[in-house]
Amino acid sequence: MNIIFTYLFIIATAILLFINPDLFLKSVLSGASKGATLCLALVSSYAIWLGLIRVWEESGISKKISKLLSPLVKRVFKTKDEETACAISMNLSINLLGMGGAATPYGIKACQLLDKTDFAEYASAMFFVINATSIQLLPTAIVGVRASLGSISPADIILPSILTSAFSTFLGISLTMLYFKIISRTRQVNSARLIPLKKLKMNGAGTR
Amino acid sequence: MNKLFACLIPCIFILSFIYATRKKVNVYEAFTGGAKDAIPLVVTIFPYIATVLILTELFSASGLESKFLTALSPVFDKLGIPEEIAPLLLVKPLSGNGSLAVLSDILNTYGADAYLSRCACVIYGSSETTLYLGAIYFSGLKRKRLTSALMIALISFLLSAIFGCFVCRFL
Repeated sequence: MNIIFTYLFIIATAILLFINPDLFLKSVLSGASKGATLCLALVSSYAIWLGLIRVWEESGISKKISKLLSPLVKRVFKTKDEETACAISMNLSINLLGMGGAATPYGIKACQLLDKTDFAEYASAMFFVINATSIQLLPTAIVGVRASLGSISPADIILPSILTSAFSTFLGISLTMLYFKIISRTRQVNSARLIPLKKLKMNGAGTR
Repeated sequence: MNKLFACLIPCIFILSFIYATRKKVNVYEAFTGGAKDAIPLVVTIFPYIATVLILTELFSASGLESKFLTALSPVFDKLGIPEEIAPLLLVKPLSGNGSLAVLSDILNTYGADAYLSRCACVIYGSSETTLYLGAIYFSGLKRKRLTSALMIALISFLLSAIFGCFVCRFL
């Protein structure tokens, strides 16, 4: 991001210097003030959802959600650890509500815990792909922004968003599974062909 | 169908509050406590949003944007993605706040209910800041498969953007 920002800024400003130097300060200021306006819209939307999440936490709904999700989580990520499953479920359920920013702390924790499990390479890649392809049921932030910009029916993007994000998550999961199947197969073949003597010592390495 | 989804959010609130009351939670205290966190959260993201918006303003004022878009538009056109959304596709994997800024720019320019804006919202809502997430999730891990996971995520992102624009024509 640093490189992109610095170079684009320099190039764009240099061009402006030749075309119309007066425009520089004007566009810089208008950009910043747009940012301020947007943040005002965001702070209102976050206030509502973070408020709701706190109500969930205190009434025990979040714990119930993570309990509900944990059997599925344990199967998908091939882990038995309770703490790991809990961090993953919290991350996924906050993501489902479209609060990506609030889910990140749980995500980092989940990744660090997954790193210690038996199928770390597979599980952390899978977790990342699921997070990166976004699993959202309610794109709350966008609905909020649309509403604040005077949309007639701000919620009418929810259905297409769900379909699209389901599509991308499904695609991501399938590709990840396929990839790791291929990897484990080539590893098995390699270890069988190239180093048959060492095979006994590294038992189980090919299945990862 | 859209009516149903419009009812969804209010219903979540009603059910949550009823449940919390039955659990003897002080809903008012809890809600205000959570809402308080919104301020620091926005304070931390404001600099990034403002910076990216300053950059996009410079980018479009200098005429770089239109040149860039005309160069790319045949590609996006073939994929069924309107060229006005191209900047969003490029920024989204890098920065969530930056792409939110780009999104609000699109919404402001074309109106919140235009086909273009709805496409942009769907693309924004159905994707994540892949590269940013990769950087923070995989940093400090011993056993990683970052490149392959990133490629998979980016491929899914592009395909789902095409899918999203397609869906928006009907829904």
